[in-house]
Amino acid sequence: MAKFITIGERIHCISPAIREAMATRNPEAILKRAKEQLEAGATYLDVNIGPAENDGEDLMKWAVQLLQENFDNVPLALDTANKKAIEAGISVYNRAKGKPIVNSADAGDRMSYIDLAAANDAIVIALCSNGPIAADNDERMVHCQTMLEHGMMLGMEPTDLWFDPLFVVVKGMQDKQMEVLEAIKMFSDMGLNSTGGLSNNSNGMPKHIRPIMDSAMVAMCMMQGLTSAIVNPCDVRLMETIKSCDVFKNNTLYADSYLEL
Amino acid sequence: MPFNQKPQKFNATINTVEIGCGEKAIKLGGESVFPFYTFDGPIDNAPKVGVEISDLGLGDAVPGLKEFYGDAATPAEMAKKAEAMEGADFICLRLEGGDPNGENKSVEELVAVAKEVADAVTCPLVVEGCKNVEKDADLLAKVADALQGKNVLLLSAREENYKAVGAAAGLAYNQKVGAESAVDINLAKQLNVVTTQLGVKAESIVMNVGTAAAGYGYEYVVSTMDRIKAAALSQDDAMLQMPIITPVADETWNVKESMASEDDMPEWGSKEERGIAMEIMTASADLAAGSNAVILKHPQSVATISKMIKELV
Repeated sequence: MAKFITIGERIHCISPAIREAMATRNPEAILKRAKEQLEAGATYLDVNIGPAENDGEDLMKWAVQLLQENFDNVPLALDTANKKAIEAGISVYNRAKGKPIVNSADAGDRMSYIDLAAANDAIVIALCSNGPIAADNDERMVHCQTMLEHGMMLGMEPTDLWFDPLFVVVKGMQDKQMEVLEAIKMFSDMGLNSTGGLSNNSNGMPKHIRPIMDSAMVAMCMMQGLTSAIVNPCDVRLMETIKSCDVFKNNTLYADSYLEL
Repeated sequence: MPFNQKPQKFNATINTVEIGCGEKAIKLGGESVFPFYTFDGPIDNAPKVGVEISDLGLGDAVPGLKEFYGDAATPAEMAKKAEAMEGADFICLRLEGGDPNGENKSVEELVAVAKEVADAVTCPLVVEGCKNVEKDADLLAKVADALQGKNVLLLSAREENYKAVGAAAGLAYNQKVGAESAVDINLAKQLNVVTTQLGVKAESIVMNVGTAAAGYGYEYVVSTMDRIKAAALSQDDAMLQMPIITPVADETWNVKESMASEDDMPEWGSKEERGIAMEIMTASADLAAGSNAVILKHPQSVATISKMIKELV
């Protein structure tokens, strides 16, 4: 089995420093966050430029080149509602360290992001939803099947669609947590890859609680067969948990210094 | 339905480590396939065979060995003969006389032997210590210094002395470092991690993950080497992509099948043939399990294993 893949989520235009850096094309803040995340063990970096309706194409190209030139062609997830911006980013993307990830498609209005990924030999994150959160796993799996078939019709490898069950917040949807975990097991049993923003489970909790909940969640998810997650890799407890679970799953060979690798 | 061969492709490669200088220099590793899986991809650097000699000479060696070395009296003279042995790619000089519980030769005396041997041959040289971790820390560091420019491999840095041996061989004197673990897969990885954390380049490290003689818990050796190659190639584990060297003779000539006299065990046949058979069986199994180099003693074993490699790669 391959090692669990972490996608670092901290280059996000919701952060004032990153938004400012993107607007002024100032590399400093972006490079700093990229470095922190890679040193903390992220495999992929997510680049969220927001809706970027005006200069999305130019901005995404700039961000892709900036990150790949400074960090040995680090693989990236291109995250924006602006499809042209994703295509522009892929046009300058170097695949030496992995295919680009299109973030993201769903089974509703965003189905065409699968077409975009297929046309560009990219991986696509496929949210199992057609807008609202799926009511139950029957609905989740219908969305999964719809997107899987759509991608395969377009010639994609099934493993290039990374299914996201959509993690739900404990405070408010505590009774739905096991369903999400069961959906991951169903993806896994079908031989599919999966990912998602799992820290959503701890939204609204005190800051010191979140790493604990996120770590417990990632361990349970990995047991169910989750193959990737979009996370804050600077969360030490979370990354230690992922590395430890990778040992238990025999995804990586144990050595006493395994946490330093 | 016709058979469609699907090669097993890995996006990972065993490191290439060069030992020695000039025309006779050898390269260990470099492949992206399992041992001898030439149907999956090329193996540019076939496994190599080394000949072991000792600063203590031949001792009570079997007649075939004594005959081969003839009147060679010093390690340097033996090295010259070993270098010309059919199938030999390199020489491994064991400085076993340094053992404090044995002859306890001084470090200076042993360094002088290493120097004489290095000057007598043109083939690549591996220098093995006396296995006492304190003595080896000093001895191998001084050998690394004395043989600067020869690009030798020093066996071995162990858990107890990797700092001294690794720093001298890998950092100060630009030699190659052998990282030794005794059939312990987690320690094998850990030693590579801490040795690289010292600053030694991953490409300067060769692993000696240990072996047993065939029949002596050997399946554990196979599973260890198998798991290392699987991690290196299928999991792209950079801390296990070092090539493997295996001193075989040291194990196989010390088990009862090789040592029992013909008087004691008449039904076992020729003692020398038994010893050769143990050496060949163990070496071939080590190579099939993942060793990139084996170290042997008997000319017949060296010739046989070398021929086996040539036919398979």
